[in-house]
Amino acid sequence: MACFNSRSIKYGLLRMLLIASMIGGVILKPLLLPASEKTTLTVALTGKFPPFSFYSEKGELAGFDVDVAKEIAGHLERELVLVATEWDGIIAGLLLKKYDAVIGAMAITPERSKKVNFSQPYAYSGAQLFIHRQKEGKIRDIHDLPGARVGVGLGETYEQFLREKHPAIELVTYKAMTDIFQDVLNGRLDGFVTDRLVGSYQIGQGGMPFVAAGPLLYEEQLAIPVTKDNNELLGRINGALRQMEKSGELKVLHDKWFAPPSKKEAGAVSQMAAPVVVKKLLRGFGITLLVGLSSCFLGLMAAIPFGIILHRKIDYLTALLRFWNDFIRATPLLIQLFFVYFGAPQIGIVLSPLQAAIITLTINAAAYMAEVIRSGLLAVDYGQNLAGIALGLTKFHVFRFVVWPQAFRIALPPLMNAVVALIKETSLIAVISVAEVIREAQSIISVTYNPIKYYFIVGLLFFIISFPLMKLSGRMERNIKAKGFSHA
Amino acid sequence: MLKIEGLSYTYPGGLQALKNIQFEVPPQEIFSIMGRSGSGKTTLLKCIVKFLKPDRGRIELHGQDIFQMDERRFRQSIGIVFQNLYLFPHLTVMENMTLAPMQVLKKSKREAEEEAMATLKRLGIEAIRQSYPSQISGGQAQRVAIARALILKPQYLLLDEPTSALDVETTDEFGRWLLDLKAETTFVIVTHDVPFAAKIATSGVLMAGGEIKARGSVQEIGQPG
Repeated sequence: MACFNSRSIKYGLLRMLLIASMIGGVILKPLLLPASEKTTLTVALTGKFPPFSFYSEKGELAGFDVDVAKEIAGHLERELVLVATEWDGIIAGLLLKKYDAVIGAMAITPERSKKVNFSQPYAYSGAQLFIHRQKEGKIRDIHDLPGARVGVGLGETYEQFLREKHPAIELVTYKAMTDIFQDVLNGRLDGFVTDRLVGSYQIGQGGMPFVAAGPLLYEEQLAIPVTKDNNELLGRINGALRQMEKSGELKVLHDKWFAPPSKKEAGAVSQMAAPVVVKKLLRGFGITLLVGLSSCFLGLMAAIPFGIILHRKIDYLTALLRFWNDFIRATPLLIQLFFVYFGAPQIGIVLSPLQAAIITLTINAAAYMAEVIRSGLLAVDYGQNLAGIALGLTKFHVFRFVVWPQAFRIALPPLMNAVVALIKETSLIAVISVAEVIREAQSIISVTYNPIKYYFIVGLLFFIISFPLMKLSGRMERNIKAKGFSHA
Repeated sequence: MLKIEGLSYTYPGGLQALKNIQFEVPPQEIFSIMGRSGSGKTTLLKCIVKFLKPDRGRIELHGQDIFQMDERRFRQSIGIVFQNLYLFPHLTVMENMTLAPMQVLKKSKREAEEEAMATLKRLGIEAIRQSYPSQISGGQAQRVAIARALILKPQYLLLDEPTSALDVETTDEFGRWLLDLKAETTFVIVTHDVPFAAKIATSGVLMAGGEIKARGSVQEIGQPG
């Protein structure tokens, strides 16, 4: 009928979706959170904070916090379920009972204590300034740094402390320690403040030329938060910690993970086995594609009626939809993700991270695609309607056979662009702990300390998917132009 | 018989485009509505095909008010070819021709295609049946648009400025071709091209400022002054 066959495109999309969902189905199982029962202890941590928590060479969660969580679950006689989530939303998730407790090197602070109850401390550490070895003589401690640029992890307690006590220092916040390392190496930062234990460990692992400068800025007590209404669990966790202290278990674990770096081979940069890296990246990319393509497909299904309603101006329905679409397009996707993931449980709908991601991206895709479809309909000359009516076709037939096929062809190239944009935006879903490809890359980088290599690979993966889609879109556009469509 | 009685139309902005228009179009003729741009010709045409509803007056087809007629019967009785033609760009010439017969008259694809083929052959454009509208010339497109309207066998076919996109030679050929067809269909040609109208039309009206200024034989009313 037409030069490019819309049916083959439809089947192509369907097939891609099917493959993506098959890949997804196999690898997603561990991600879908089971409803917490009394036989399990669900514990959240970031998985990106070695040696407290990180992904081992085998691709499994490991670290001091993981071992502590295992011991506590053992004492409580519960099965341990670990949830790796972003630090940004870790307390919000606890308050919504996405997990029972956080064992994530969290320091006790008055602000946090207002929202959650902390156990007794299970480790002691503190804030330490680290600098490049080359500056060792020039910078003796924090007081030598007014006007200098200092890196801290976003949302960590050091940020607040430095702002209050050392306001002359210019603070730069980062999401990952490896990014801070990179910027100290680049000379963008004069130093960074982090946990003394973690910092020393990571510097040793990464073979970084950094040293501690000055004494501890302050001491921190690391403890386990639970929700305010969960005193029973808190009591049992404290009981377990007391026993672990008494028996010396806690000391054994502490030494296992925080032994001075001198014990390790000097300059040995830690590695991750190649098959593990490949598996993690492919699994992450499978999830990226699953979320991206299924949201695009579902979004398009919703966008078609939405676009038609917007174009036809059906009273209140159009006004409502117009407001909704503008609202979605005017707010950041990140905020929408938080809203769906953390907000839906408030009205009794508990969504898994993956469900929340697909729903949010679908809503987002529907809003953008509905506008594309509306402008496609708008681009069809009104005379086409008149010609159809004059030939005796009903209004429905005119739409079905004359207006819609033209509008859809005009809309296809911008729709393809929307698909490409959406697939790239899936990287944001990591904040609600969906293990998409960039999150997987970050967890690899937290062990290998090689951000440039792994971000390059991730970029390449996105390119491999997006480039053919963009080429296809360009070909469609030329096709449409060749046929003399209006405004195409 | 198509009969217009006391027709007036005022646009929502307040411009009165038609004032008390009155005339009849006898069957099996080529009837011409002439006048300069802005004289109200196209507004009149839009009223006759019910795209505009007049404020006053009646349009009758065989004694029946067209606004009371069954929609499908009306569309089969009076066809129109727009100045811009409005061929469907996503369909081939053949598909442009068969869409209405299949959807409106519920003909089978084969039957619709056979009839379309016969019409295309008669107009000498069967070779382009698989082409898309963007791939054919202006003259060919003009013929396809008329063929698409003729396939429903209307009693009246209105043509809005049919020669505006044609060169002199094609215009002459087009005129001969209309004369051949007038036994089956009555043509109402809206045009500012008086010489063309004079060659083919038997009678007509001359419009200016929304009113009919002259009526009768085209040779007479077409005279300047």
